[in-house]
Amino acid sequence: MQKKLTVLFLLIVVAFGALSVKLYAINRDNGEEYKKQVLSQQEYDSKALPAKRGEILDCNGTKIAVSQKVYNVCIDAKTLNGKEGQFIDPTLDALYDSDIEFSYTREDLKKYITGNPTSQYRIIAKKQPYDAVSGLMDKLNNRAQNPNIKGVWLENTYQRTYPYGSLACDVIGFVQGDNEGAYGLEEFYNSTLNGIPGREYGYLNDDENLERTIKPADNGKTLITSLDVNIQSIVEKHILAFNKEHENEYREGNGSKNTAVIIMKPDSGEILAMASYPVFDLNDPRNTDGLTVVVDEEEYSTQGVVNISGEVGDRESGEEEEGAKAPAEGDENPTEVDISVDEEEAPEGESVTAPAGTRKNASAGPGEPGEPGEEEALEPEPEPSGPKTYEEAYEEARMEALNALWKNFCINQTYEPGSTYKPFTMAAGLEEGILTGNESFNCQGVKEVGGHQIHCNNRLGHGILDFSGALEQSCNVAFMDIGAKMGKTIFMKYNRLYNFGLKTNIDLTGEAMTNSLVFDPETMVPSDLAISSFGQGFNVTMIQMVTGFCSLINGGYYYQPHVVTRIVNDDGATIKTIEPRVLKQTISEETSAKIVELCNNVVSKGTGKSARPAGYRIGGKTGTAEKYPRKRGNYVVSFMGFAPADDPQIVIYTVIDEPNVPSQASARYATILTKDILTEVLPYMHVFMTEELSEEEKAALSEAQLTFAQSSDESLSENAIVSGNAVEEGQTSENTGGVDDSVITFEEEEQKEEKEVVLDPETGYPIDPVTGALLDPETGQPMDANISDLE
Amino acid sequence: MSSRRGGSKKNNRDKAFFDYSMLFIVIFLLCFGLVTLYSVSSYEAMLDFGEPGYYFRKQAQATLFGIIMMFVVMFLDYHIWQKLAIPAYGVSVALILLVLTPLGYEVNGARRWLNVGISLQPAEVAKVGMIIFFAAYVCKMGKNIQTLKGVIRTLLLGVPISVLVLTITDNLSTAIIIFGIIFMMVFVATPNYKEYFLLGAGGIGVASVFVLLVKKGVLTSEQSYRFGRIEAWLNPEAYAGTTGFQTLQALYAIGSGEIFGKGLGQSMQKLGFVPEAQNDMVFSIICEELGLFGAGAVLLMFLLLIWRFLVVANNAVDMYGALLVVGVMAHISLQVILNVAVVTNMIPNTGITLPFISYGGSAVVFLLIEIGLVFSVARRIRLRNSGD
Repeated sequence: MQKKLTVLFLLIVVAFGALSVKLYAINRDNGEEYKKQVLSQQEYDSKALPAKRGEILDCNGTKIAVSQKVYNVCIDAKTLNGKEGQFIDPTLDALYDSDIEFSYTREDLKKYITGNPTSQYRIIAKKQPYDAVSGLMDKLNNRAQNPNIKGVWLENTYQRTYPYGSLACDVIGFVQGDNEGAYGLEEFYNSTLNGIPGREYGYLNDDENLERTIKPADNGKTLITSLDVNIQSIVEKHILAFNKEHENEYREGNGSKNTAVIIMKPDSGEILAMASYPVFDLNDPRNTDGLTVVVDEEEYSTQGVVNISGEVGDRESGEEEEGAKAPAEGDENPTEVDISVDEEEAPEGESVTAPAGTRKNASAGPGEPGEPGEEEALEPEPEPSGPKTYEEAYEEARMEALNALWKNFCINQTYEPGSTYKPFTMAAGLEEGILTGNESFNCQGVKEVGGHQIHCNNRLGHGILDFSGALEQSCNVAFMDIGAKMGKTIFMKYNRLYNFGLKTNIDLTGEAMTNSLVFDPETMVPSDLAISSFGQGFNVTMIQMVTGFCSLINGGYYYQPHVVTRIVNDDGATIKTIEPRVLKQTISEETSAKIVELCNNVVSKGTGKSARPAGYRIGGKTGTAEKYPRKRGNYVVSFMGFAPADDPQIVIYTVIDEPNVPSQASARYATILTKDILTEVLPYMHVFMTEELSEEEKAALSEAQLTFAQSSDESLSENAIVSGNAVEEGQTSENTGGVDDSVITFEEEEQKEEKEVVLDPETGYPIDPVTGALLDPETGQPMDANISDLE
Repeated sequence: MSSRRGGSKKNNRDKAFFDYSMLFIVIFLLCFGLVTLYSVSSYEAMLDFGEPGYYFRKQAQATLFGIIMMFVVMFLDYHIWQKLAIPAYGVSVALILLVLTPLGYEVNGARRWLNVGISLQPAEVAKVGMIIFFAAYVCKMGKNIQTLKGVIRTLLLGVPISVLVLTITDNLSTAIIIFGIIFMMVFVATPNYKEYFLLGAGGIGVASVFVLLVKKGVLTSEQSYRFGRIEAWLNPEAYAGTTGFQTLQALYAIGSGEIFGKGLGQSMQKLGFVPEAQNDMVFSIICEELGLFGAGAVLLMFLLLIWRFLVVANNAVDMYGALLVVGVMAHISLQVILNVAVVTNMIPNTGITLPFISYGGSAVVFLLIEIGLVFSVARRIRLRNSGD
């Protein structure tokens, strides 16, 4: 037995020897390879720790944009499949017991886990709020009690949300992709808001040991803006009401092509409210439910070249005029934009931005027609290569519609300002001593400049007007006289001094370049000067107009317009205060005081009467600019005002681009809208009423106060009541302009007398009662001599 | 060899034997095992239980209890086990059958545990039970064991328990070890060689046939996960993502250790790469952290322990004591050899733990009871007083 024991022991020794040899062999043969393999398996990958994006607050500290910590739920199918898959069911139980919204059903997820045993990273639920994941988080933090929950973890990230939805959408902008701001403040202040993401990374130290280091994230800074959510809401409410009221009134579509309002503090350049219509939901900027996407049939193949699917062919054979509409179930959604790709209906951008450049004597006009916005479309379209399928054409049109929707009309769109430019002309004349304020003008309804007959808005002539009367009645002839007296050098000097053709450098992304859209004094001809003096022929942006106008009434100080007033860090400490910045002095205090007085007269006696909110005195100037190409009956109507009249605290600029009405040439649309807004904004700003209220006004106000608290549908009726009130005051009303065009309502329509015009029996065109010439039924201009023909 | 006067009842002139060398080796292995276990398991324990010392604490408790049991068994007369041989067999079978009752529970997908106040692995009990039973049985056979018939009868008695372990607890490796223990005990008890080598060759032959069939693709992992393990053994790189993952990662660990290793606690492979590093694969982490030198030292300690068993068995006062020691020796040597063979991919992956070092409460307690048996046998050895 001892012998056998010894044999057994020897056998064991031999086995041990064999094992030792094998161990040595592994090290000798594969040592280097395995060593590298071990090092290569380590996680050196650095992991970004997201920084919290800064918030955007209004002037009262109300949060307009916030970033909330949210969680992505990730799984590691490899770990879940370990140990014969015993973790799968307990883990799925834990997952589906929680309130998390998964992108998969339980069965699909299980299928995925078992079907992809090597997958180690998969996000199964995105951007879940804390409440939804807190249960799961507790279980994951308590591993001892839940040993079978494995292969699941949570990733932190931040979700941008906008508590007010579409409020101030154009100003705020949104965030796309990886915290990249798009449009508005989000883009302009992107680096400030973004913060610096932290990093967790691994490296090998001197001893070849893996070490991991964490550099914490530096959260983004918070913007405190001059916007006031309450004022902004009032403005947007009335813009919406106007557009609802006129929706589908004359043509299919919105109540106007665009309606925009800026409210600004004249003595600091701070923007209190900036809104345009249509709007979009910041929380869902790509939603096209309310968007009408029109696809031009020419744009995609009808030859069947790329018709692979029958579906495409079917749609094309339909030959529908409209193309296809996006699923528009959300009818209550005010977001509705018509974007036509059709060549015949020239896109707005081209017609408005380059009126002068397309004239016959292009050399005399301002430079090349330029696309205004310098920003590019978010999703650049692919180069057109060959015929497109319907889907491609539709997608293109959809993106175009969205990009148009996202742009901020107030800073991005250029247009001819029209009569709201007249105070600028007048201020220049007064400042240079060319005008004394005692001049009088004789308007016969037309003035010949450089061989062109340029008509006044009142084709019958205003007769003799005094200095204030010229502005009150917005007489084009008077202003052509002023322009001629001033000369193009001085006119253009002031045009540049008011910053036209230059950027205001407001702290928002997407401000249009207008340097090629104003006249060059070198090449300017007398007729250019004549039409410029009343605001036609060159292009401006709303922000240029309102900022320039602020300087006219605040003593001549041109403030840089801005939205952000303060930048604070994550702890609430102020990093930077943005003080009002005077860029230049445009006119003297005396001239400014004179302009205030003149503008007050416009509202108290002249064309701006209907802009006055009950109980207040305000000043301002109306504008009705015919759009290019002329004679199409398309107008930009506007009102530039300030309140209160004696001590301007706010400047308001209202622009309605192509109101959806039979006859657009009425600034009333803008003045009524302005009045509605001011009626609510001024009491909110604690501006006291100074004027006595008439009985009608009292009734209208008490009616309005009732409706303010009610839904927006109710506020529509309030609007109607106010308009009705105005009619009783003996002013013109839009219902005199019939659809049949037999009655023409002229530019600057708010004059006492209405012009009933006799129609030519042969052509159906109206006849000028003075000259007997045929008039264009839409513009009221003589058929043979209008501006576009002349030049 | 140390010799001291033990706590003997008889006032004998011969000194009672106490094997301090073996005690030292056992204590060394236990302490080394705990240190290694802590190093290997703290990362996983932190991840899974939020407590780096989770496995260490449980193992230390079991070890302490095991040491107490070891001393209790040491001071008992080992002959009482001879009388309890048949109950030992019965208890082993009963405990294995209990796994089928609600008392049994699953860990990591295998139903091998009993919950009787404390958790218990019946297979570990069975190993001790079989050592006790077959030592007594072979003694009772007397001369009959030397006949072929006697050998076959003895081995056949070991078949039911092995089959139970294999079928009920689905544990091939433990079944092999139990049968291996019986086989070695019978081998030592008989003078012949031929039968055993034939039997051994037969076993290897059967195994080879299976391996060949797997290699030819006749048997695949779809039929049994065991065939899948053979596939992975033959070509671990081809199954690097699945069945070969553990083996391959263990090989990476061994290969990256070089001569002196990365240093205690410096393993990279234990950080989630070698699955269950604290169980079957603990030896690969020893290789990585302490290198060939450390791995060699551990093997040497086991060899020394086995040598001490040899010495005790050779000097045992009776056949029963000697066979008990042979059983323990067979058990520990088989587990060490098979464990290291798995880790180095010399045989297909089966779940065999490394004695004293791998995590496992039942295992360490019953191992220490076996050591207690050996000490008990050793205490009976009488040394002649050289000065007498």
